[in-house]
Amino acid sequence: MLANYGYIGLFLLVAIFFAVITLLLPFSLSLPARLVSYFRRLREYLQLNYPILVKLLPPLPPRFMQIVPYNPNPVKTSTFECGMETIGKAWVQFNFRYYFYALMFIALDVLVVFLYPWAVDLRKLGVFGFIGVLIFISIIVVGYIYAWRRKVFEWK
Amino acid sequence: MTVALSVEEIAGKIEENFPRGIVESSPKSIVVNKESLFAVAGYLKTTPGLDFDYLAAITAVDYYDYFEMVYQLTSLQHNHSLVIKTRCYGRDNPSLPSVVSLWRGADFQEREIYDLMGISFDGHPNMKRIFLWEGFQGHPLRKDYL
Amino acid sequence: MEIGEVYSSRQLDAAEGEQIVSLKARSQQPIPDPDEWLEGEVKRNVLLTSVDALLNWARRSSLWPVVCFPACCAFEFITTAASRFDISRFGMEIIRASPRQADLMITAGTLTWKMAPQVRRIYDQMAEPKWVIAMGACAISGGIFASSYSVVPGYNRIIPVDVYVPGCPPRPEALLYGIRMLQRKIAKMSIAKEGK
Repeated sequence: MLANYGYIGLFLLVAIFFAVITLLLPFSLSLPARLVSYFRRLREYLQLNYPILVKLLPPLPPRFMQIVPYNPNPVKTSTFECGMETIGKAWVQFNFRYYFYALMFIALDVLVVFLYPWAVDLRKLGVFGFIGVLIFISIIVVGYIYAWRRKVFEWK
Repeated sequence: MTVALSVEEIAGKIEENFPRGIVESSPKSIVVNKESLFAVAGYLKTTPGLDFDYLAAITAVDYYDYFEMVYQLTSLQHNHSLVIKTRCYGRDNPSLPSVVSLWRGADFQEREIYDLMGISFDGHPNMKRIFLWEGFQGHPLRKDYL
Repeated sequence: MEIGEVYSSRQLDAAEGEQIVSLKARSQQPIPDPDEWLEGEVKRNVLLTSVDALLNWARRSSLWPVVCFPACCAFEFITTAASRFDISRFGMEIIRASPRQADLMITAGTLTWKMAPQVRRIYDQMAEPKWVIAMGACAISGGIFASSYSVVPGYNRIIPVDVYVPGCPPRPEALLYGIRMLQRKIAKMSIAKEGK
């Protein structure tokens, strides 16, 4: 399945792995101790004060009970295209004009991120802060106007 | 000032320019020779007084001896319309010159006629079946199909 | 057809023509209706009876149709889906074009040989359990177009049909009766019999 998605699948795996490790690392270090205390409290609550093996049956998936049918065949699992056979990949090249908009967005977005904390403490920063921010904005706006004059925002 | 010409006047004009072109002429339609069809069509489209720039439909009729093609032309400027017919004798591989270069609307109409009647058009950029699938044997709207 | 290749339109036409010709050659006999399990005794496992009842009730009360509307019967189906003869009261208001979440195909219209491979593919892409209602005379037997060179004489040439609703077009009440008949058929299903 991953072969169908190419590199996106790999990125997805890395992203999931990274997120899971980051989020669970503080918990996992103390896992054994917490499990033991959890089961002790459970036993006290259930008033089973002698050690027994608590075995929890996993719920049987409906497929094993033969409620949900599972009959794959090549036509059934093929991509849906209103009844036609698919020709070619769906992963096509994006139009290069989107790249210009993305680039300008990144530049101006970084500018805005710096403007937010400045705007919060505007009075304390005084005139010096104001002039500094004006210089910063003008540097970025020069690039923006250059892109504008080079007809980057037109879609031809 | 646009003047709507009647069919007799248009027939007269065609007669002047193409002496042996017209086979029959009636108040409703003009029957033209197969050989002079393309020239007459070009003349009708380009002459300033006639200006037939809209081809409404092309139809084919199967009389047993011949196929008859019916072209329905209209002038949007002068508001006169005309029906031109051509006869195509012979049932094996009949062919006619295509008018796609004059009126683009003839494209699909001629493909439909090829598909269902079997008349092929020389000069058509995309002469293939349009309704029926490739590999279908025969031309269904002929009188001798089935 | 290879992924990534570029085909000319003539090649695509030829491929489509072969597909239709081979489908037509395979469909000379009607597919038998999937009714054999209705006849005869159904030995019910006592343990599964209530599971069956629950499952069949759930399945028949929320049949989701897939769009298969080649011709005029579609108007009667749309009328049935509208407010006067509501099929939403049967749980069927989810009519989407995708067959992936559908379990009912109401074939509303005349089928031509050129469209037949597409309908067959959409039927194949539906997940089990799936049922088919043939709506209208053209769907049952080709209707008044039965002897035409381009019309499939009945949908049961290419897909197995459960319920036939006659009419040209059938009135909405007739279609609702057909849906009710299908619901009674679903009520008799059993998971012990087959994977359906």
